[in-house]
Amino acid sequence: MTSRWIRWLVAALSLAVIVGVIYLPILRRRMQLAAKLQQQTAEQARRELTQVVPVNPGEPRVKTKLFWASGNGDGTLMNATVELPLSSDPVLRAKQVLNTLLAGPVDTDLRTLPPDAVLLAFYLLPDGTAIADFSEALATETPSGIQSEQMAVDSITQTLEANVPKVQRLKILIHGQEVETLAGHLDLTGTFLVNTNAAQAPFPTTTPVATPPASPSSGKPAAPATDKPTQVPAPPPRPGAATLTPENGPGKLAQLERSAPAD
Amino acid sequence: MRESEITLDFAAQVRKALESQGFQVVLTRQGDENPSFDDRSAIANAQIGAVFVTLHIASTGLPGTVRVYVDSDLPARTDAGGLIPWDRAQLPFEGLSRKMGDLVQVLLVQRFKGSPVTAQTAAVRQLRTTAAPAIAVEVSSVVVEERADLDRMAPGVADAIATGLASFRPSYVVPTTRATP
Repeated sequence: MTSRWIRWLVAALSLAVIVGVIYLPILRRRMQLAAKLQQQTAEQARRELTQVVPVNPGEPRVKTKLFWASGNGDGTLMNATVELPLSSDPVLRAKQVLNTLLAGPVDTDLRTLPPDAVLLAFYLLPDGTAIADFSEALATETPSGIQSEQMAVDSITQTLEANVPKVQRLKILIHGQEVETLAGHLDLTGTFLVNTNAAQAPFPTTTPVATPPASPSSGKPAAPATDKPTQVPAPPPRPGAATLTPENGPGKLAQLERSAPAD
Repeated sequence: MRESEITLDFAAQVRKALESQGFQVVLTRQGDENPSFDDRSAIANAQIGAVFVTLHIASTGLPGTVRVYVDSDLPARTDAGGLIPWDRAQLPFEGLSRKMGDLVQVLLVQRFKGSPVTAQTAAVRQLRTTAAPAIAVEVSSVVVEERADLDRMAPGVADAIATGLASFRPSYVVPTTRATP
């Protein structure tokens, strides 16, 4: 009786060892796969929690590239890929990807857009020009500087380029209005190239708005605005003079000075 | 730290370095005033054979680095009158700006490790309306613990700009913009 139980026990243990030998490599592979997907899963979970544009669950989930800061501090971007049920309609699709971009990455240090910024509206014209209207926070909370402003715009344009092929170029509005700069430096009066296959047109190809040259001393226009763009003659060649402009734009620090009346 | 004050201090040192290279320097502001982009461009465009340098202190970027920007490519537009539209004033000077920017950036990276090796392009508003070779120089950053950290950078920035502009001067031939009848 005892010897039969011992035989059963040995057989059971042997079986367990055999199963273990077979299953352990599979378990190891699954753990490696889980580790690989961990970061992507965290991004995915965040995307699903922060998705503000209604999505049709019936839409196929597609790999979506979102461009955030690389973290090198040098103004470069890197892309993260997440799966989203993106609409086939380009306008809805653009809203989805931009809202996801605005929600930001898991690592908040890699944000390129202010957390309070909101996409108010998005339009797509037949010629491929998109118009994205953002809330004031995009202009007031983006860190002032050429690099930081350029990075904010690049993250928007590169995300659109990767996910919404119909968008050829982008015009950025702030609260429905055209503004001169994003946060004191980067020009928002033109359009930004999105699709590199499109004809480049960083500035409107239509007749530009006339910008009269201002009188340096008075700060007032030297001539009344006309329908024609103001023109300046080309200077004759005589090198030797340098103009230096110490910047004092409406940057973050400069904002502190706004209590003083502007000259 | 006030960005405007630091920038003005940098400008004073750049001015001194440029004058020592034989340049005549015109500042677009002397104190805490804040002229518009067009005001600044108007000052520059009124000069003959000028180059234009706009200084910035960024609030981001690798501290201790300096970047040079030139304007993004503007779409060409012909004008029968041979005049440059105000909002495209930089267009004929883009090649010269690029050359000048690269010369200055190379000198900056020698002094400030981690800076880019060539000038970068960006749609910098100030540059677009400037009818001269024009660059924006951005120093990182105001987010340093001590103001002295930035002050220490000023002589190197000034020297790089002045030396770069001096080596650019012989190649500065103002482009012809008048249309052929």
